[in-house]
Amino acid sequence: MRRAPRLHWVSILLGLVVLMGVVSFHAYTAIRPEPVRHAGEHRQLPENTLALAFHGGPDPKWTPRVLDVLKETGIRATFFVTGTQVTRNPEVTRRIAEEGHRIGIDGFRAEGDHVTGLNRALAQAALADVLGAHTPLVGAPAEVDSGDRDHQDIGTLVRMSLRERGGVVRLHDDGSIGADIARELTRQPGYRFVAVTDEPLVTASGTERFTGAVTAWSQRNGGVVLVLFGTAIAIAALLGLLRTAMQLGLAHTDRRLRRESEADPPPWFAPPVSVVVPAYNEALNIAATVRSIAANDHLADVEVVVVDDGSTDGTADRAEELGLPGVTVLRQDNQGKPAALNAGISRARHDVLVLLDGDTIFEPDTIGQLVQPFADSAVGAVSGNAKVGNRKGLLGRWQHLEYCAGSNLDRQILHALRCIPTVPGAVGAFRRAAITDAGGVSDQTLAEDTDLTMAVTRAGWRVAYRPQAKAWTEAPSSLRGLFRQRYRWSYGTFQSMWKHRRALVESGPMGRFGLLYLLAFHLLLPLLAPVMDLYVLYGFLVADAPLAFVVWTAFLLLQTASAGYALRLDGESLKPLWAYPLQQLVYRQLTYAVVIQSVITAAHGTQLRWMKVRRTGLLGSAPGCGVPGSPAVVLEE
Amino acid sequence: MQVFVDGNGGRRVAAGAVSLSVACGLIVFAAVVAGTLLGAW
Repeated sequence: MRRAPRLHWVSILLGLVVLMGVVSFHAYTAIRPEPVRHAGEHRQLPENTLALAFHGGPDPKWTPRVLDVLKETGIRATFFVTGTQVTRNPEVTRRIAEEGHRIGIDGFRAEGDHVTGLNRALAQAALADVLGAHTPLVGAPAEVDSGDRDHQDIGTLVRMSLRERGGVVRLHDDGSIGADIARELTRQPGYRFVAVTDEPLVTASGTERFTGAVTAWSQRNGGVVLVLFGTAIAIAALLGLLRTAMQLGLAHTDRRLRRESEADPPPWFAPPVSVVVPAYNEALNIAATVRSIAANDHLADVEVVVVDDGSTDGTADRAEELGLPGVTVLRQDNQGKPAALNAGISRARHDVLVLLDGDTIFEPDTIGQLVQPFADSAVGAVSGNAKVGNRKGLLGRWQHLEYCAGSNLDRQILHALRCIPTVPGAVGAFRRAAITDAGGVSDQTLAEDTDLTMAVTRAGWRVAYRPQAKAWTEAPSSLRGLFRQRYRWSYGTFQSMWKHRRALVESGPMGRFGLLYLLAFHLLLPLLAPVMDLYVLYGFLVADAPLAFVVWTAFLLLQTASAGYALRLDGESLKPLWAYPLQQLVYRQLTYAVVIQSVITAAHGTQLRWMKVRRTGLLGSAPGCGVPGSPAVVLEE
Repeated sequence: MQVFVDGNGGRRVAAGAVSLSVACGLIVFAAVVAGTLLGAW
């Protein structure tokens, strides 16, 4: 096994920072602050010498007219440009420079927007992108105001411009009047025209030009990036709403049909059952697991086959020491869970096989409930209702909520669509013939339960869900453990999807609904959802914070309501629901990270091994778990 | 053999090279842009 790839996280995090930078910069350039005039240094010019200083441009329509007038009269002027306008009008900017006029910086987004060094740097970057140079002239010197912002009469404007009989005359090239005043001033007798400065532009370095190209691209294309963001968010939101609608509709229908069948229940079905428990280093859990099975109230024979898959902690000894009747312990070299399951299945005597992990606790009626759907001879597998036992801490509550609002509700939807893709390893039952048709338990994926369930469905068997068959499983108690568990689940699910991809062109429900459901909600949605978080962050930090808050809250309320409905369907208390909003901050991002990591791992072709989760052994305190001998100590892996 | 697992290592090497190139490219990109702007600031 090679270490799972990690370098992509650098790319993803940096990529997100860059994207945020692009859209934030785009938004920043769209803001046009009020122009602020700063009293620059007084520039001494000889009497009857004028320096025409144009502000507000470059403008695509009016600046060329000014340039035409200056060209006709052979006068060199100075253009104090704003950085955003330079990026918007690169051709006009180039023409200014090519025709020998001087260029200064007025600001980045408006006149005076050069007080902070960053804005000055951004304006220079815009020039570097367009001209390959930056200017030493930042901010206009003290000027004689032509009054062209306040007056229209040319005569008045000329008089105002010449009232000091020389100096730097303040004009604007972002309106029609700029060219007219310039023409009139050039016709005044006795005046000489110079530029504000003779200092030429300074050639920009490669990094300045590159930075300029990046900021210019961001200014021009940030809107496109936002549209792409918006599209991804729209798809994610639609998928989210679709899933909620399906949850509300199909799960409700499924539950109603179930209630109707309960009103007139079929005869109780009680076939003999073989329970297969693969275990690897479960010494501290196995006794409680086996005792909970032995304490069943099933009406027919229940045989237990514990398969110790080369444990080094005495798991097999602990199981044998119990001395419980009907319990067989097999020992084998470590070959992996699928091999252990296959060994247990071959040893089992009965045709109905209950498979569970070595850290699961059954309730007394779990086995009896689990096998009821087998009364229908078309049913090849049955999923039970796995519940989180250690739900005391925040992480435990989150997982409990996810089991109910995510996995179990999903399972009810998929049951209604007849395409349950996973009979969980924690609590599931199979007909031997179905397993045989599927070719046994395969070791080609890390999610052997999903792989087997898909194979069984493709072989033509129905997979049922029995929510009354509850099993208490221990959820990881640390974020690291949770990541490792979900990583294996997610990666294994993708492996199974790929392995059974041909189901898409087959006539069964697995391809028509199951694979598409997984593709949409377990692959596409988690990959798109981070963009939504990013957009919310953008909304809060850059755009309209109140609107972002309202949208985010609306989605959160919808999801919380959906989770509450799921808890109610599952007969659970609504109390843990308070932890649901907090899920949005760490837990949800972790689930995205798992999917991203899985996709990257698949692309790399890395061989992963089974990642065992660190145990706490707190199942003894699980609600509804009154099994004598449940572990009461904290267990370590 | 498991699904997705690259038997001869070619895909792993190629994906690793792409991953390394993208990460390095982004690091250089971010360093140049941020460095230039901060320097001018």
